[in-house]
Parts: sequence; C-alpha cells; structure tokens
Amino acid sequence: MNPNDLAERIISGDEKAASRAISMIENGEETGFEVLSKLYPKTGTSFRIGVTGSPGAGKSTIIDRLAFCYGKKGKKIGVIAIDPTSIKTKGAFFGDRLRLKNAEKIEGIFIRSMAHRGFSGGISKAALGAECILEALGKEIIIVESVGVGQTELSISLISDVVITVLTPDFGDEIQLMKAGLLDIGDIIVMNKMDIPNAEEKAKDIIHYLESIKGEISVPLVKTIARQGQGVELLIDTLEQEREKKLKEEKENKEKIKTLVIALIKEEMEKGIEEMMEKNITFNDLLAQVISKKLDPYYMARLVVSNILKNGKLEETLG
Amino acid sequence: MAEKRIKVLVAKPGLDGHDRGAKVIALALKEAGMEVIYTGLHKTIDQIVNIAIQEDVDVIGLSIMSGAHIPLTRKLMEKLKELGIQDKKIFVGGVIPSKDIPKLKEMGVEGVFPGGTPIEEIISAIKASVKK
Repeated sequence: MNPNDLAERIISGDEKAASRAISMIENGEETGFEVLSKLYPKTGTSFRIGVTGSPGAGKSTIIDRLAFCYGKKGKKIGVIAIDPTSIKTKGAFFGDRLRLKNAEKIEGIFIRSMAHRGFSGGISKAALGAECILEALGKEIIIVESVGVGQTELSISLISDVVITVLTPDFGDEIQLMKAGLLDIGDIIVMNKMDIPNAEEKAKDIIHYLESIKGEISVPLVKTIARQGQGVELLIDTLEQEREKKLKEEKENKEKIKTLVIALIKEEMEKGIEEMMEKNITFNDLLAQVISKKLDPYYMARLVVSNILKNGKLEETLG
Repeated sequence: MAEKRIKVLVAKPGLDGHDRGAKVIALALKEAGMEVIYTGLHKTIDQIVNIAIQEDVDVIGLSIMSGAHIPLTRKLMEKLKELGIQDKKIFVGGVIPSKDIPKLKEMGVEGVFPGGTPIEEIISAIKASVKK
C-alpha cells in the first residue's frame, strides 16, 4: 500500500484507511510510520483528553457520557481504549464497547481498542500515532482511556492535553491515595459514584489532600454519577477551562514532547539491543562468566553499555 | 518489528440474549494469544461491520443461538461485499443444526462451530485461516 494514497484517504475521511494505518503502526510496519510522518505536521488542533483511574472507578462510563455530550454539541469524536496485554499469553480482551452504549449512537464516532503490548506506562506505543490518525480523519475531540493501574500511569499525560483521574468514594484512606500516586497525574479529579454512602465526606477528604500537597496550584474536583449522566456538563466546562490554561504553558508542553521522545527512543533501543545481543560473542562470553559467578550482573551491564555508547556496537574484544 | 497479533471480533447479532458461550470463546481466544473484542448483546449487522472496520479485525465470529443464523449470516456477507471488504475471515458458532453447515459455508463462511466444538479446534481453525 502506498503511504501517500493512504494518507490522502485518511484526510478525506476514509475509516477503513485510518483503521488500517493504526494497525500498521501497532505492528511496527514501515508504511504506517511513513503515513504518520505525512499526517503529523497537520495535527495539533484536536482536544486530546486522557482518562485514567483505578479499575472499576467508571472510566469507560465517564468516557461514554463525555463522548455523548460532546457529540450532541456537534463535535466529531474519537475514542482510543487501551487495555492490558496478558503477560502470560500476549492476548488481550476488550470489553469497553459494552460500556460505550450511548457513545456508540453518536454519528461518526470512531472507537478503537488497543492492547498496550508491554509499553511502559499504561498506554500503548501506538497510541500517539492513533491520535494523529484520528485527528487527520477529522476528529475534534479524542478521548484516550489508559490501563487503570496507578503509579505507572505517567505516560497518559504525555499524549493528552488534559488528564482526568477518576476516583470513587471507596478509594480507601489517605495512605492509599499517597501510595497509588494517582493524584499526581490528573489535571482534573473526578469523584464518580457520588450516590454511594459517605460520598460527600470522602470528596472533602480528597479536597483537603489536594490542598495539602499541591499548595497554591488548585486541581479542580468534579463530582459525578456517570451512570446517570450527572455532573458531566460541569466536567466538560472544567475540561475546557483546563484546556485554555494548558495552552499557555509553553514550557511544560515542550517538556512533555521531550519526555515522550525519550520514551520512544528507549523503546526503539531496547528492541535494537536485544537483537544486537542475541548472537554477539562478547555478550555470550560475559554472560557465561556471570552465570559461573566470575562476574556480577551489574558489572557486565555497565561494561556493555559503556562499550556500546563509545563504539556504536559491542566490540569483539573489550579493552 | 513488533509481531502481528490476530485480532478477533466476537459478535452477538440479533435478538438472542445468551452470551455465556461467546464470553467463554472470547476468553479462550485471549488465552491463545489473540486480541479479542466483544461487541455485547443485540447488535445489528451494520453495527458489527462498523466495529469490524474501526477495530481492523482479521476475524469476525458470529455467535447465534436464536435459529436466525442463515439470514443473519447472509446479511453480514452481503454488507461486507457491498463495502468491498474481502480480507476478514468469518466464523459462525452457537446452536447450528448440521444440515445448515453446508449452506453457511456456501455463503463464504470459513468455519462453523456448533455447541460442543472443542475450543482447541476453534483456535487452530482461526490461526490457520489468518495465515492463508
């Protein structure tokens, strides 16, 4: 397939072309990356909303309602739902469409499930590419749902303009919050399931907590009952306000791109290094020495890395 | 280069409300290393085709217990043809009388799995069809 044609078809609104191009990037096919190179310079106007939070907090339901409300306002919506890849079998199961019943009714909505395929940080390596393709396809609002697992969720903020963290009143206590690190990521905290007992009290706890860690920077908290659509209009208003604020943060935005590129470089290098090591004589020699305990693993790793950085490859003989 | 994974859409068309079997199959395919999307109940053929396009799946599996497997499958095959989609492999499972199997295959269905088909058989049939 010709990357020029494919890019043209995507821009003209061809869903088949868009979805094929996303697969190509997922599978690491050259054509996919060429398409992306053509589309990337044209992107940057869509509103990319990242949604994270613990499993079962209601991320998909929030996304369903957000998509529905934005859709009613006449916006064109794309949704990228990222689910975990099984470490054991490399398979994945996507059940998000079951929760996106209202969103599915919106005309022209494009929903794509992606397995994160082992990329660190709760998003898939192809997620940024998928965002660009959906934008080129004409989507104005792009919502990305990350794998909900706390701590490693940093990368969602790298590919989003604004990140929502979804919590429920039964999050546990303050220590749980501190451990999970979830509140460090979100630009907006959504307290969902406000219809369960003690919800107001728990919401107050979160507000206190936010004030104590963030000092003057205030992270807005929005209360919702997503299943009934309650609070979603307020959430959209808050999203738009945060978006305005973020557009002015030039330095932060540059920093984000830098971090993202470094993450991709690491990923590419990891692949390259694994291939390089497999049949390398020096690598296998050293490894044998580590196995027989003549060398320690830290020594070997540092030796190999300094050698690669100096020579661009692992030398046959190390000086 | 990242390896290509087999992507499967497990779909429940029409009015039947029984999806235990569909879920069991979906999980078994995941365990076999595939990426599986489940549509949920009561989807129209148009919705199923739309999902198959957006998700760019290799395989569409229809799970039908209602007895309407012939008209539903025919509608799916017609819709795919109308949109010029030829690269998806179609499988049908559920309550399918053996006399209907040749009819389904004639429509272009790759494989038919009536209730009781061993899961290993389904997995290997899907893998073989995608390699073709």
